[in-house]
Amino acid sequence: MDLEKMKQDAAALLEDGRANLVIGFRERAGECVPAFVTDADQADALTYDETCIANVAAYLRKPEVRSRRPVALVARPLVMRSLVLLKAEQQLTDDDVLVLGVGDDAYHGVLTLAETEKLLNDQYARLAPDAETLAEIERIEAMSPEERSRFWSEQFAKCTRCYACRAACPMCYCERCIVDRNVPQWISTAAREHGNYAWNMIRAFHLAGRCTECGACEAACPQGIPLMLLNSLLAREVRDAYGQTPGYDAEAQPVIGSWNTDDDEEFIR
Amino acid sequence: MTQASAKPGAGTEAAEQKDWTPRIVAFVCNWCTYAGADLAGTSRLQYAPNVRIIKLPCTGRIDPLFILKAFEQGADAVLVSGCHPGDCHYTSGNYHARRRWGLFRRLLEFTGIDSRRLFFSWVSAAEGQKFADLINEVTEEVRQAGPFDTSNPARKRPWT
Amino acid sequence: MKLLDASKLDELAKTLADAGYRVVVPAEDDEVVRYTEWTPEVTIRTDAFPVNSAKDFLFPRSEVIDRYELQGDDFVAKDVAPEAPKTVLLAVRPCDAQALAMLDTIFNWDFEDELYNAHRQATTVVPMVCTEADAQCFCTSVGGAPDSSAGADAMLRPADGGTKFILEPLTEKGEALAEAAATALADGEAEPDPPAEVPVRFDPEQVRAWLDENFESDLWDLLSLACLGCGACAYTCPTCHCFDIQDEKTRNEAVRLRNWDSCGFGLFTQHAGGHNPRPDQAARWRNRVMHKFSYIPERFSLLGCTGCGRCARVCPAGMAMLDACVRIEEESKKAPAHES
Repeated sequence: MDLEKMKQDAAALLEDGRANLVIGFRERAGECVPAFVTDADQADALTYDETCIANVAAYLRKPEVRSRRPVALVARPLVMRSLVLLKAEQQLTDDDVLVLGVGDDAYHGVLTLAETEKLLNDQYARLAPDAETLAEIERIEAMSPEERSRFWSEQFAKCTRCYACRAACPMCYCERCIVDRNVPQWISTAAREHGNYAWNMIRAFHLAGRCTECGACEAACPQGIPLMLLNSLLAREVRDAYGQTPGYDAEAQPVIGSWNTDDDEEFIR
Repeated sequence: MTQASAKPGAGTEAAEQKDWTPRIVAFVCNWCTYAGADLAGTSRLQYAPNVRIIKLPCTGRIDPLFILKAFEQGADAVLVSGCHPGDCHYTSGNYHARRRWGLFRRLLEFTGIDSRRLFFSWVSAAEGQKFADLINEVTEEVRQAGPFDTSNPARKRPWT
Repeated sequence: MKLLDASKLDELAKTLADAGYRVVVPAEDDEVVRYTEWTPEVTIRTDAFPVNSAKDFLFPRSEVIDRYELQGDDFVAKDVAPEAPKTVLLAVRPCDAQALAMLDTIFNWDFEDELYNAHRQATTVVPMVCTEADAQCFCTSVGGAPDSSAGADAMLRPADGGTKFILEPLTEKGEALAEAAATALADGEAEPDPPAEVPVRFDPEQVRAWLDENFESDLWDLLSLACLGCGACAYTCPTCHCFDIQDEKTRNEAVRLRNWDSCGFGLFTQHAGGHNPRPDQAARWRNRVMHKFSYIPERFSLLGCTGCGRCARVCPAGMAMLDACVRIEEESKKAPAHES
C-alpha cells in the first residue's frame, strides 16, 4: 500500500483547505489507534494496516468534528459503506467529507462520497462476511434453545454497560439513545442480566439493515463479548429475507423503514 | 387475576410449578384483532383465559421493546396480532410491523426465545372464531413448552 | 520464608477456598483476562493485564442499597446488609492495591459507606509483584511501583527466576491468610526476582500546576478530540467510583440500586432543567483529568490515579491518561503558567 501517497494527500488536503481535519490512524504502543491531523506537517504520523479496525465515521457525530467540516477520513471498504449509508440516512452530504480510500492492500486516493460509492460497487461489491463469525452463528443455531439461553446468559453477564459498542459505531448517532430515556425507563441501566440483554438486543435490532459488519463494536468491547454474532446474524437475515446489503446505494430506503407487499409472512398465522 | 400473590420471576420455585398455567401477553391492534376478540366475546365463544390483551392503535406501533418487557416481567409467551396485509386502518402499519417482526424474531430465536413462545397472526374484526381458536392453540402450545426458562437472560432476576 | 511453587497457584487458591475464603484471581475467559471468583475450572493467568479492576469486589457494578416489600397496603423496608463473604484478592496487581487508599478515603470522608466498608473489612489483599510491565504502565510516575506493598495484607513475590513465589504476610489479615494457606506452602529460602522496569514518564506536581492555571485552555479540545464518550475507562479504572442511583420495582417489591456511572457520558451532568455544565467532551475530559490530578490531591493529598494503564488498554479511541499527562507536562514547559 502506498502509505507515502496517503500521507502526501492528507497533507495536501489540509494545506489547500479541501479539508480542515484528517481522521486516520497512528501507531501507539504497538497498536493502531485513531489519529486527528489538523496541520499538514502532522500528516507524517499517519499509518495504516489491517489492525486499524476503529470505524472513524463514528466521529462525524461529534460537534467538534462537524464544526471542522470538510473532514477527510481514512476508510476501508466497510467504513466506506458506513459513509454511504450515513448519506442515505440524510446525515452527510458530499460537501461534508472526503475519503482517503484504503482496501485490499491498495490505496485508492482521495475520493468524494459519490466516487466512494462508485468504487464500492465496482471493486468491493461482494464483500464476503467473516467466515469464522458465520460458522460460529451456525454452531449456536444448532444448539437447543436452552443451550442458547445459557450461552448468551454467560456472555451478557460480562457486560458492564460501558456503551463502548455504541460509542464506536457510526450508526449509533441518536442524540438521546433509547437506553438514556428515563420517562419511562424502558431498559434497566443496571449492569444486570435482563438490562444487559435488553440493551444488546435493542442495539442489534436498531442496527438491522444498517450495520456494515465493520467489527468496530466487538473490537471496542472491553469484556470480549462476541457482538458480531448478533449483528452478522441480522445482516444475514436482511440479505436473505429482503435482498439488501446496506451502504452501496446512497438513494436506498432504510431496511426497517420500508416494506414490500411480498415480504415473508410464513411465520404469521 | 388468580395469581395476585405470585412474584414475577420466581418461576423456578417448585410450588409455583405445580400451579403453573401459561401467562401469555397479547399485543393487538385496535381495529382488527381487538375487535375480533370482542366478537369472540359477544358470540360467547369459549377460549382459554391465559391471555392478557394489550390494545394498541396498530401493530405498527409495536416496538420490539414491548415484547422484551413482557418476557422480562414474567410472560411465558407473547402473541402479536393485527390486520391482514392490505387491511390496515392506517394503510401500511402492518407492513412495517411484518418486516420488524420478521427480523426481531430471528434475533430472539438466536438467543433462546423461539417460536414456542413468540407468535404472530393476522386476525380481522370478523374473525371471532379464528381468535378463539388461536388463543386455544397458542395456550396449548405454551403449556407443552412449559414455563419460561428463568435462566434466559431476558427474564428479570430477583435483585441481589 | 513461606514458598509456593510457581505452578501451584491453583493449589493455593483451592486451599484458601477450602478454608472459607471467596478467592478472586486473574483468570482467562476466551481472549481476555479478568479478575473473577476462583473455581477449579478457571485458568489463572498472571502474565496478562486484566480488563477489570479489583474494585469490582468492593464496589460492585450494581448494588442494592434499599429494599422495600409490599405487605398489605404498606411498603415495608427490608434489611440490606450486603453479602460480604470473607474474600482474598489473590495475585492482583500492586496498582489495584494502591487504589484502595483512594477508595477507602472516598467511601468514608463525608459519609461512612456501610456497604463498601463491609466488603472492605472482609477482604484480604494479596498483590503479586510485577516482573513485567507494558508500554501502558506508569505506576512509577504516580507514586507507585511494580513491587509496592501499599494496601497489601501480604505480598506474593516471584522468585528464583519465576519458579517460585514468596508469600510475605504484612498485616494481621495477611498472617491469618498465611496460616490458612499453610498446607500449600513450604518453608525455605529463595531470591526475589527483580521487579519490572517502569520508567518515570512525568511529574504529577508539574501536571497539577498546569491544571490549576489552565482551565480554559484550548488544549482540552485537542486532547479530547478522539474521545467517544463511553464508560470503558471509568469502569475499568481501579480508582473511579462515581455512581448513579436508580429505583426499580415489580408489583410487590422495590429496590434502590447504586450503579456505576461515568463522567465521560454526555448525560452525566445533564440537569433536569436542560442545562449541562459539561456540555462537550472537552469539558468532560478536562473533568476526568482534573479529578485525578488536581481535585483529589487537593482534598485528600492523594493522587486519583495509580498508573495501571487499564484505561489505555480498553479505550477504543486510543486515549490514555498517560498521554494526557505527558502532553500537559510538555505544555507546562513551553509557556509560563500565568500566560492565558
